[in-house]
Amino acid sequence: MKSITATIFLLISFCSTYAAESLPLLKISSTSQEYNIAQPWEKKPTRSLRGIGAIVGKNQIITTAEMAANATFIELETIDGNTSMPAKTIAIDYEANLALISVTDPAHQELIAKMQPLEIAPSPKLDDEVKVYQVEDNGKTLITNGVIRGADVVSSFVDGHYFLTFEVKASMQGAANSFTIPVLKDGKLLGLLTSYSSEEQLLDVTAPEIINAFLKDANDGTYVGFPSLGIGISRTSDPHFRSWLKLDDSQGGLFIKQVNRNSAAKSAGVKEGDVLLAVDGHELDRKGFYKSENYGPLYWGHLVAGSKKTGETITLTLLRNGKKLTKEVTLTRQPEGIIPSHMYGKAPRYLIKGGFIFQELTKSYLQAFGKEWKTRAPIDLLDALNHPEDYEKDRNRLVILSRTIPTEATLGYERIASVIVTKVNGKDIADIPTLVEAFKTPAEDGIHTIEIDNDLKKLYLDSESASKVEANFLQQGLPSLSRVKE
Amino acid sequence: MKSFILKLICLTIGAFFITVISATAQDSSNSNLKKAPAPKSSDIYKSVVRIEVATQTPSYRTPWNSGKFGGGTGTGFIIGENTFLTNAHVVSNARRVLVTMHGSARKHPARILHIAHDCDLAILQVEDFTPFQNLPHLEIGTVPQLESQVRAIGYPVGGDRISVTRGVVSRIDFRSYAHSRSHKHLVVQIDAAINPGNSGGPVLQDGKVVGVAFQGLTSADNTGYMIPTPVITRFLKDIEDGTYDQYVTLGISKFPLFNPAMRKVYNLDHDDPGILIARFYKDGPVDGILKEGDILTAIDGKSIDSAGSVDIDGERVDMSEIVERKFAGDKVQLDFTRDGKKQSAEATLKPFPAAEIYSTQYGKRPQYTIQGGLVFQPLSRNLYAELALSNPRVRRLFAKYLTENIFKERKDIVILTNVLDDPINSYTTNYKGNAIKSINGVKITDIKQLHKLLNPEVIPEFFVIRCDGLSRPIILPGKDIQKHNTRILQTYGVDKPFYLGN
Repeated sequence: MKSITATIFLLISFCSTYAAESLPLLKISSTSQEYNIAQPWEKKPTRSLRGIGAIVGKNQIITTAEMAANATFIELETIDGNTSMPAKTIAIDYEANLALISVTDPAHQELIAKMQPLEIAPSPKLDDEVKVYQVEDNGKTLITNGVIRGADVVSSFVDGHYFLTFEVKASMQGAANSFTIPVLKDGKLLGLLTSYSSEEQLLDVTAPEIINAFLKDANDGTYVGFPSLGIGISRTSDPHFRSWLKLDDSQGGLFIKQVNRNSAAKSAGVKEGDVLLAVDGHELDRKGFYKSENYGPLYWGHLVAGSKKTGETITLTLLRNGKKLTKEVTLTRQPEGIIPSHMYGKAPRYLIKGGFIFQELTKSYLQAFGKEWKTRAPIDLLDALNHPEDYEKDRNRLVILSRTIPTEATLGYERIASVIVTKVNGKDIADIPTLVEAFKTPAEDGIHTIEIDNDLKKLYLDSESASKVEANFLQQGLPSLSRVKE
Repeated sequence: MKSFILKLICLTIGAFFITVISATAQDSSNSNLKKAPAPKSSDIYKSVVRIEVATQTPSYRTPWNSGKFGGGTGTGFIIGENTFLTNAHVVSNARRVLVTMHGSARKHPARILHIAHDCDLAILQVEDFTPFQNLPHLEIGTVPQLESQVRAIGYPVGGDRISVTRGVVSRIDFRSYAHSRSHKHLVVQIDAAINPGNSGGPVLQDGKVVGVAFQGLTSADNTGYMIPTPVITRFLKDIEDGTYDQYVTLGISKFPLFNPAMRKVYNLDHDDPGILIARFYKDGPVDGILKEGDILTAIDGKSIDSAGSVDIDGERVDMSEIVERKFAGDKVQLDFTRDGKKQSAEATLKPFPAAEIYSTQYGKRPQYTIQGGLVFQPLSRNLYAELALSNPRVRRLFAKYLTENIFKERKDIVILTNVLDDPINSYTTNYKGNAIKSINGVKITDIKQLHKLLNPEVIPEFFVIRCDGLSRPIILPGKDIQKHNTRILQTYGVDKPFYLGN
């Protein structure tokens, strides 16, 4: 009998309830549109997203970057559904998956000013209770209780950028909104829900530490973004690897397998092969975890992206050839590299020359080869993605000849696609702007020489015949032959 | 992936375009043959034999094991005194071959005399030819005309007795041979049903052999393929000296000169002949003769057009056909233009062994070596396919093995294919599927050298094993390694720690 009551009690405690109180929450609907990667001069069909944002300051509503990415239109709506307000993005961080939006109409600004902004919750403890807010179509606020089960450092929107995130156990209902919704603790904003697994009933919630840093950055002038060290690491669990590194058993440490070009670590003199023992005095174990005050073992990435501002310094304790040394590193934004990890909020640059389409390689370009892109995308381009260090010299971006439209100027070259461009008319190609520049000076006989990284090595293009083709493209409705500005 | 490998392999076909030969290449020497009276059908049947094969196929996943035992049946036919022609794939990896005559239950033990995996043909010999002594020898004919009728004879699935199907010649083409997966030769397509078991059987017209049935298409109905007579006669000529030397190649990749701007750069008029040499392979027959950027204008005096075709007996065919019919040691006359100047040279044709990396291997025990539970094997088409290797650096090394002259420095691309888990290697499982770049600072060139580096006279404190594209090395402790090896090999049932070939 006892056990049954216990079960009932549990069920009740996790059940959703309707709120009577009124909170500074607003419904958000956004329409977004991405560029068509295969035909970069045009955009794809639109996509709509709905979610809930929270007022966190004067005319400042916080939501996820996912909601605002590539948005062509954003609209806020009061919970009761009575007022719709056009809005715009004022700060966005794709890496941390956070965005700040504000309403544009002065009348709406007044309406919002009447609502008391939510405070940001202090750092919680594991097993703390939280409330998840959803809104139904009829305007009722639906509250689900949950418990913080863990803290981890994960990426939620853009691959490869890791931030402190809580894992919350709660059994939510599907509601009219998407799962981009606020999570509160003791009436204060703990974070935003970024993903929900209905099977495991687990929620990923951004941490208040990250939200605070984001808001602070957004409110002190231009938005800078989170800092990065710019290293790639490998665990040191392997005992043989440890003894080769001269690491004794009392030590943890991470093997630095890569130091990115133009990164903070590179400028500070961190070298490939160093072992990272501690960050700001926090010792790292063999898997890269340190003992955090609130959350127990936490991945070291939080010591950089979650604890420091861009421009601040951090102290690294390293082991080099068996000897300890320390390095002061002034943290910078992660250098973009020659292959950007995302293109949100940017227009892809391209150039069409006589039927050849030139583009800058991005990860999304490769992902467009489908679900199996890691095996289906051209191997040369995959290699560039995996080993940008081999392609970085004299390049800002990796320019590729992505496709060849059959024209009289490209006769015989129809099968040329997805090849890396090295030079045009003898000039090194660093990006689309340098490519455009290089095409301005063909040889005296009017022939452009395009050097590519494959068997054929050189392609030739008659500038006169190319011009004719290009005029024709424009006549047939191609909006522009190039985009030089992102 | 498959298609681009095929493109790479066909050395004499450019890496950029695929030629379709629109008509047949008639072998002029055969058209002069006297027409012998056709043997009676029933006699022909007796000369078509059923071949029963027991096979042992090595496993590249467990190269130390004996391999998988299996078997199959095919067809063959008598073409001379104790000479049975069949497909290479019928008798590949064979441990036992038995030949049965039509209408007889007796199984005659046979052995493989010659096997040519690149053109899927083999010659068998029976231990005792006496029972076959009075049977007619099938004569090799010519290339049949499009739309002409042919008969395919063999022992396909669906019964034990001989089967005859009729069809017409529906296409004559230059296509891939599925057996090696990397060679292209002339193929004749017929609409007669060709089914498993038909392989190796004769396709006849007017009582003469016009082809050997060898492959079909799973995605289409009424398509069967046969190996036509030019390929058969070339094979028979090649083995006349007692060994099979393989096909030869020019070792070039060419690019058609269609583009007007390209023609302007190379100073070519509308009707000027020639095809661009985009690349030649180091150590190939034209290394030192042709250069990249040369325009090849004629081969053996036959003018090459801008698509790479030549005229043979009034038919436009790909220039590869000229090389196809030649043998190792044969010469070929090349006329070319370099920097606007006409030049001429003679190249001696030879096979190009480095290209074998792209051909499926048969009848060979896979090479491997094991140290500290780490299994190393040289990259081959078999290994690539069987292990479904997906590491991008390995894929790139495989794809560029010839074009970037990787074979010059690395005869073998050695792969860490497996880790036999043990405390000595407990954290290295994740490194499976990588190519090995160096061991203790020495660059890896081939499996035998790697084996030596891993088994030096004085065992070092550590083996520092570096992989392509990874900066974190694999560390294998040298201490007591032999003791660990004994334990690992015993645990995993590995009889011998290495096999490096003969």
